[in-house]
Amino acid sequence: MGKILIVDDSQMNREILADMLGGYEIIEAENGKEAVAIVREQTTEISLILLDMLMPEMDGLEVLEIMGKNKWLDGIPVIMISSEDSPELTHMAYELGVTEYIRRPFDALIVQKRCRNILALYAKQKKLTDLFADQFYEREKNSHMMIDILAHIVEFRNNECGLHVKNVQKYTEILLRGLMRITNKYKFTDAEIEIISNASALHDIGKISIPDEILNKPGKLTDEEFKIMKSHSAAGARMLSDLPFYNEEPIVKLSYDIARWHHERWDGRGYPDGLKGDDIPIAAQVVSLADVYDALTADRVYKKAFTHEKAVSMILGGECGTFNPMLLLCLDLVKDEMRSIKEKSISEKSEHDIKAYARELLKNDVLFSSDRVVKRLDHERLKNRFFDAVTGECSFEYHVSTRMMTISRNAAVSLGLPETIMDPFSDKTLSNMFGADVIKYIISQIRNSSPKSPVLYLYLHELVQNYDGELKELFVLSSDETIECPEGADTCSYRILCLTTWENDNYTGVIGKIVPMEFGYGILKGADHIDIKGLL
Amino acid sequence: MTLKDFYDKIGSDYNSALLRMGNSEKMLDKFVRKFPNDKTAEQLFECISKEDYQLAFRMAHTLKGLCANLGLDRLQKAASDLTEALRNQVAPNTPQLCETVRAEYEKVISGLNELD
Repeated sequence: MGKILIVDDSQMNREILADMLGGYEIIEAENGKEAVAIVREQTTEISLILLDMLMPEMDGLEVLEIMGKNKWLDGIPVIMISSEDSPELTHMAYELGVTEYIRRPFDALIVQKRCRNILALYAKQKKLTDLFADQFYEREKNSHMMIDILAHIVEFRNNECGLHVKNVQKYTEILLRGLMRITNKYKFTDAEIEIISNASALHDIGKISIPDEILNKPGKLTDEEFKIMKSHSAAGARMLSDLPFYNEEPIVKLSYDIARWHHERWDGRGYPDGLKGDDIPIAAQVVSLADVYDALTADRVYKKAFTHEKAVSMILGGECGTFNPMLLLCLDLVKDEMRSIKEKSISEKSEHDIKAYARELLKNDVLFSSDRVVKRLDHERLKNRFFDAVTGECSFEYHVSTRMMTISRNAAVSLGLPETIMDPFSDKTLSNMFGADVIKYIISQIRNSSPKSPVLYLYLHELVQNYDGELKELFVLSSDETIECPEGADTCSYRILCLTTWENDNYTGVIGKIVPMEFGYGILKGADHIDIKGLL
Repeated sequence: MTLKDFYDKIGSDYNSALLRMGNSEKMLDKFVRKFPNDKTAEQLFECISKEDYQLAFRMAHTLKGLCANLGLDRLQKAASDLTEALRNQVAPNTPQLCETVRAEYEKVISGLNELD
């Protein structure tokens, strides 16, 4: 059973509620700001929030707004408790997502019962979500596995290493996403992209019907042999259309299109049907390009692998068939992405897959709060903390939506700052610590960044000078790596690397790292002495 | 003086206050005795005298909620009237309403001093 967070500016109110809820683990916050910081840090441990409406620093409605933006309300129910009778505010609270509204004076029995009911309901919902997520993954995994097995049987006969199918799947996805970036002509949902790239695995299934000696002949095929070889596309399509079941399934229909037409050419000189231009289904066009690129960049019985650059220039130069000009434009756009896939060691579950899963999951609210994701996020957090602790680096992030900056624990410890800072650009403590000029400079640098150039390289120079036995600190932020050091002063410089984040051209925040440039005296050096285990 | 006598004396309903605390006299007793330690009322009076009506509104609101829970009915009513007087703009009768709150508050405090 998780914790209950009681948020109220009156200590007496918190005490009364805590007493009424004897038996549960209680944490308290005395204003909205504190509450948000606690929820950010302990999102998965808090199972219910009792929230007051009117509070200093940040009121209950603002807390709800932030919780909604961060999707915390999906997993944490909130009961608002207020003596506020105005219907407008009550309605607003419901609109912002409170589960219940308890009006004062609250009654011990009612508070206990409602809390218990909501906790039970959410626990049940969570269990179902986890169950659903598990089954979802299991089924996804199984169907991927079956398609892979089938595709590998084909490749196995073909003496290929087994990566071809995987590669074609990935290139297909990259090309489909690229197409959407350059034109409105084609629109695919994430689900459609997934189906097409899965279906691409079966593009060569017709090769099962080609005799070994032709399929694996090292030399040039005779005209007769080539004719037989070319029959694999129509043969594969027939296998799929002859299926006694599932013929209406989108994946089977798309697999048919891809198997039959992945050797058609834009100019109509391909096979088996000589389709021309847009008559060739786009899925088949994309897989065809992916297939050619992978064939060129891999060793085959009849040839050695070409480099990525050579392969791309051969395709763009029309040496390997003719393609939809839009698709060639797209290849030019995504070629680097394709190269990195090519270069990456392609293991069973590559990082690319995990990213795709994560992307899928983040879009899917239902799955967002499932245990798997939570564990993965926890793991990420642990990893970051560990790396920061061992390297003495500090990381920070700022989200516009919550107006909140979080800094890594080691930085917080050595700077004596809280891990969460609201409105950092107008925060007095920060401005006193680093100087108003430093903060102003950062703001101007952020304003100058853009989605096209989101990375900021800054240098923070810490000057320590001895004034009549008293140490004075001065911070200078600049784009220069070095600084002129006044006589008698000690300097320590840090490199600050920031990435501004953007969503549809809207600035959404900053993430960054502060890295000490050399060993010496410095505020962040304290990190060396901190017990790493204690930080985790 | 018993807890019930105290409630009678300040013109408030002991039984419903008790019921709200889950019929636990111990709990009601504990929190009512803590009431004089709560600084909300004093802060409210200070805000009014400094004419910081925005903060006064929140303090009156908090006091109203707290009294509602402890069943300090008449103080709650007075705090509620003051809250509404301060809600949008400052109503002209604010000083009188504040005096009513002060009078009821003092009754509660002196009553509490007589508890066994």
